[in-house]
Amino acid sequence: MNLSPDQTIIFAAWGIAINATVFFTWIVMGILGLASFLITRNLRPDVPPNRWRTMLEVIVQRIQGQIEEIAQGPSRYLLYYAGTLFLFVAMSNLLLVVPGFQPPTASLSTTTALALSVLIAVPIFGITSRGIGGYLKTYLEPSFIMLPFNIISEFSRGISLAIRLYGNIMSGAVIAAILLSVAPFFFPVVMDVLGLLTGMIQAYIFAVLATVYISSATAPPSPQLEPQEDIS
Amino acid sequence: MSIDWITVAAQIANFLVLVWLLRRFLYRPILDGIDAREAEITQRMQEAGRAKEKAEAVENEFREQLKTLKTRQSDMADAVRLEAEKQRDALLVEAHKRMAQERETWHAHLDEETRKYTAKLQSAGGKALLSLTRKALTDLADETLESRIAHHLTKRIEPMTNELRSAAGDGKAAVITSRDALPQPARDDLSTVVQAVFPDVVVRFETNAEQPPGIILRVGGAQLDWTVDAYIDSLADLMAAQLTAEADVKEAAQ
Repeated sequence: MNLSPDQTIIFAAWGIAINATVFFTWIVMGILGLASFLITRNLRPDVPPNRWRTMLEVIVQRIQGQIEEIAQGPSRYLLYYAGTLFLFVAMSNLLLVVPGFQPPTASLSTTTALALSVLIAVPIFGITSRGIGGYLKTYLEPSFIMLPFNIISEFSRGISLAIRLYGNIMSGAVIAAILLSVAPFFFPVVMDVLGLLTGMIQAYIFAVLATVYISSATAPPSPQLEPQEDIS
Repeated sequence: MSIDWITVAAQIANFLVLVWLLRRFLYRPILDGIDAREAEITQRMQEAGRAKEKAEAVENEFREQLKTLKTRQSDMADAVRLEAEKQRDALLVEAHKRMAQERETWHAHLDEETRKYTAKLQSAGGKALLSLTRKALTDLADETLESRIAHHLTKRIEPMTNELRSAAGDGKAAVITSRDALPQPARDDLSTVVQAVFPDVVVRFETNAEQPPGIILRVGGAQLDWTVDAYIDSLADLMAAQLTAEADVKEAAQ
């Protein structure tokens, strides 16, 4: 039994083996991209929105609202990044109910890739917002002694993100597969439903945590507390 | 559990492609659509605000006009009232004037009527007086009025001889006029007395219907007469006094 979809080769093209992780990622990308394209291709300001467009507007606005709550301000690039993270993870986990679909998020390679992207995105957003000096200075706060701890904290964030998502999704998929072989009726369905719930929560948590990390890197420095005068 | 680093790299690439895809086909169109709609709503709200401000301005203008109209209406009412009072006063003055004129006309008419009535009464009273006198003389003394008047005149001539002669001058005719023809004895008496005073004049008797009852003697510039005019005037004065007294009593009673 393969625990990771990385080990399942779907097909090979030009000598490159395409495993299930990449293949199903393409499927998720195709579904998201094609649905967005089909819904928004005839979008004009003078045409009233239909139900699909309204659905997308609701989703995008909800994501934007969450990001604005966390980041204390609007940021379109953060929306593009964190929103895509959420939609990708959520759609991957949602497709768990499709028979034969192996969620890419059940692969440690995928979650590592997403965690690495977060690790890379945090300094990029931070440097864009504060400048390179301002960003690097955050590693010395509140004191230069904290530099190694800040670096460790930065990497541990990525590792925790990757492991959390991978563990939850992979375990759900594996347990569902085991139960399917042991008791093919009823229990796999319950586990799949539970996996859907867990997957959506994990998608939310992953996206929120990524937003929090990026926001903490882009937030303006907090003002130093000045000693209050004794008025007594 | 293992990490396939090639898959990791592929997944990073896939994720970046997905970010681009969603940015291109999802976020931008949706957010641009939302922004356009919000801008349109904002524009419509601004237009509505402007329309509301315009409506409020028109309403304020209308209220000002209404206020002005009410003020003007009040002023016009005051002006009309003043004009009406002025016209009323003018009409009252005119009415008073007309009443005064009518009263004056009425008084003039009354005076005229009084004068006519008095004249008529005087004439009737004179006639009645003469008739009664004439009847009383005839009944009591078997005399005529004209002979008594001639007798009275002859008595007045003798004491005034000198005055009559000086006033008569060179007159050569003595004219004795009466309203009715005098009886012959009276003519004879008068002729005798006048011939005694003016021996050279010719005595002539004439009648004049316009003359009051009585006898008038004219010689040159001298004139001596006796008529009943004075008596009739006295009678008229008495009657007028009586009429005035009666009118005063009536007015006091009213």
